[in-house]
Amino acid sequence: MSHEEAQKAQKAVRIEIDRDELEATMRREKEELERTWARPTGLLGWFTDTDHKAIAKRYIVTAFIFFIFGGIEAALMRIQLMRPDNHFLSPDKYNQIFTVHGTTMMFLFAVPIMTALGIYLVPLMVGARDVAFPRVNLFGYFVYLIGGILLYTSFILNTGPDAGWFAYVPLSGPAFSPGKRVDVWAQMITFTEISALAGAIVVIGTAFKMRAPGMTLNRIPLFVWAQVVTSFMIIFAMPSVMLASGFLASDRLIDTHFFNPAEGGDAILYQHLFWFFGHPEVYIIFIPALGFISPIIVAFSRRKIFGYVAMVLSLISTAFIGFGLWVHHMFATPIPQMGQSLFTAASMIIAIPSGVQIFCWIATLWGSKLNIKTPLLFVLGFFAIFILGGLTGVMLASVPLDLQIHDTFFVVAHLHYVLIGGSVFPLFGGFYYWFPKWTGRMLSEWAGRLNFWLMFIGFNLVFFPMHKLGLNGMPRRVYTYLPETGWGTLNLVASIGAFILATGVLVFIINVIWARYAGAVAGDNPWGADSLEWATTSPPPNYNFHNLPVVQGRYPIWQATADAPVVRGLSTTKRETLVTSVMDAQPELRFEIPGPSIWPVLVSLSAAVMFIAGIFTPWAILIGAILAGIALTCWFFGDPNYENKTARETGERSEPAMPAPELRPKEV
Amino acid sequence: MSTRAVIDISKLPHHQFDTYDPVWWGNNLLLAIETSMFAILIATYFYLRQNFPEWPPPVAQLTATLKPLPQLGYGTANTILLLMSCAPMVLTDISARRGNRGVSQIGLVIAVMCAAGAVVLRGFEFSAMYFRWDSNAYGSVVWFLLGMHMMHLCILTTEAVLLAIWIFTREYDMKHRVDIVTLAIYWYWVTAIWLILYPIIYFTPRLG
Repeated sequence: MSHEEAQKAQKAVRIEIDRDELEATMRREKEELERTWARPTGLLGWFTDTDHKAIAKRYIVTAFIFFIFGGIEAALMRIQLMRPDNHFLSPDKYNQIFTVHGTTMMFLFAVPIMTALGIYLVPLMVGARDVAFPRVNLFGYFVYLIGGILLYTSFILNTGPDAGWFAYVPLSGPAFSPGKRVDVWAQMITFTEISALAGAIVVIGTAFKMRAPGMTLNRIPLFVWAQVVTSFMIIFAMPSVMLASGFLASDRLIDTHFFNPAEGGDAILYQHLFWFFGHPEVYIIFIPALGFISPIIVAFSRRKIFGYVAMVLSLISTAFIGFGLWVHHMFATPIPQMGQSLFTAASMIIAIPSGVQIFCWIATLWGSKLNIKTPLLFVLGFFAIFILGGLTGVMLASVPLDLQIHDTFFVVAHLHYVLIGGSVFPLFGGFYYWFPKWTGRMLSEWAGRLNFWLMFIGFNLVFFPMHKLGLNGMPRRVYTYLPETGWGTLNLVASIGAFILATGVLVFIINVIWARYAGAVAGDNPWGADSLEWATTSPPPNYNFHNLPVVQGRYPIWQATADAPVVRGLSTTKRETLVTSVMDAQPELRFEIPGPSIWPVLVSLSAAVMFIAGIFTPWAILIGAILAGIALTCWFFGDPNYENKTARETGERSEPAMPAPELRPKEV
Repeated sequence: MSTRAVIDISKLPHHQFDTYDPVWWGNNLLLAIETSMFAILIATYFYLRQNFPEWPPPVAQLTATLKPLPQLGYGTANTILLLMSCAPMVLTDISARRGNRGVSQIGLVIAVMCAAGAVVLRGFEFSAMYFRWDSNAYGSVVWFLLGMHMMHLCILTTEAVLLAIWIFTREYDMKHRVDIVTLAIYWYWVTAIWLILYPIIYFTPRLG
């Protein structure tokens, strides 16, 4: 279609409608939409359902269960460190537990849950019926689930990885880590990174091509911007860890020598590859959280965001600079001094875009009549904690100081301030904020406040003393310490804090269970918020919107005129969705997206054969590849419910599916 | 009677080539992932090279020391074959855009034969290296480079075969014409990546 035609299609026309006819048509369409977008039921339905909301909810629940597992591991470590010379855990168990804790929190909780919120909310926020690639989305979930099950099965079987969440060689290499523990880690990485990559493509495709007419680039909600920026970071960062874990696995399995200095390999190469992913990873976890904060602040200060363009540019520049920081994790390796200075500078520069955003939020909040509810409390908690974490980050960027406190509890304190403050607090704010949309019910405000204060006080009690412990020289990843070190008191304080923090999480879980059954009914838009996910029912119907909306401003609900136009002409009997142009969201195509299918889960099972059996024999790669090839071939050919069958049956492809006769547009 | 403003999209097409179609975006984003993978792999190649006084490491024969440079024959043949395969692919690409089924079929068949030939030649390329993957770090990284590219050659060939089967046995509809155009992008990309890898693997060691 030419640009002119596209523009013509973009122009709204007025149609005459008869009230009674309208109601009848709406009812009929609603029934058709319900039928077309019906979700499969039963056990098989669980494996084939491609509804983005169902997948996202599963992602959220799964990731939250892993969060609880990771939390239990943290509690076990805190019990072990509570007093000097404790023998609650053996050194070997302790090694496994801190490795699995870190791995779980980074790969099985933080990244997936951020993607999950994106998968739920991006299509709703841009006004689409589903994501761009629903089956890829489903595939991503199963791959992630298999990776998580692999890690925990092996952990229960006492084969949990034990070389730290970044598994440095030579410790993790074949010479020093015989057995299969590190292989489990390497393959689990492969699963989660495939899942993250699938999620990234789904999010970008949706945000670029499925936006409602009128949602030009400069009207995209900041949440969606954050998700898009994160997805691009995933695309450029994940291949690096794929190679790192792939090289490691092949060094261990088929005797390659990537990291073996005796044959010209290089242990520092592993650190480069890992941290070229690992540092952007921090931002992959952090940037989506920034995307939760903006809508919460807008909704509860009842104001437009201050400095929208500056906010978007900050997100993008954070992503770019985030790729130039990885060496600051390696200051204790022989890096040329010039290189060290460069990475120190970059590590300090990245404080600027983060600062810009914080000031924009403060400017938005400043002088507004704040509606302080739990989501906003968590955001305010984020400010306090994250700024502290940011300050220690600037300290760690300085090489002499970093060398002094490298691998001490100071680093542990810093990373938890940044990750829990920067991600988990906004995430909990996001839970409270969007829970009504997901379930149709409100979480208890009273329990929410209790939850917040327990978590806030508990968190600071656990991690603030760790700064001092680190400065006093307590190393991380050591299972116990002697009484003479004098670290006992602060460790006891930290352990008490851990239990307060855990109580806070428990309050949240109880709140969720209670609210599912007895929470106040939320209604469509309980917070009076501005973005499109609040323009549909809570929870949204399977097809998200009856008529796709037309966006008239950056704050679609607040700026909608009384007679806002809607999109007409999508089929109600096929899974059609509107595809629009990347820049201006001009309508381009009526695109039929695929529905429920069994093949994604079978492809992910083939991947499981490939990588899990690949721990034991390289032939599994070949067998898994063949199985995946077969499954993908069937995915490509065999699909009775998708458009080619329909086309063959009707014998016609380009029939205008809609509008219904009584709603045919007439220029008035 | 009252009125309501609507945007009527009932006349919009279902499919369109290039940036219009979500599939184009999905495919190109996957290629972005793989491009960054190859970029990091190439960086690894040069990083490891720093550890070797001579690259590739010399092999001590009975009397003389041999510099085991990779043999040029198969790699060069493969480069030429891949470049040649782009011709039928361009033909397929253009015919898919124009809706010429016969030309698409012929082009796709020729292209598939070229790609299959490239996979076979790649098998010989491995043997043209003096080292196995487990000989030393040089062998490891070169096998990985060749292997990763071979994986893409295999996927490309399979995808082309499947599309060919479709357009021979089923309808030549817009959806699959868009797929063919997308396949062509993948094809050019695999060739382009090889045009970068070929001089790196075969000629940078010869530069000294």
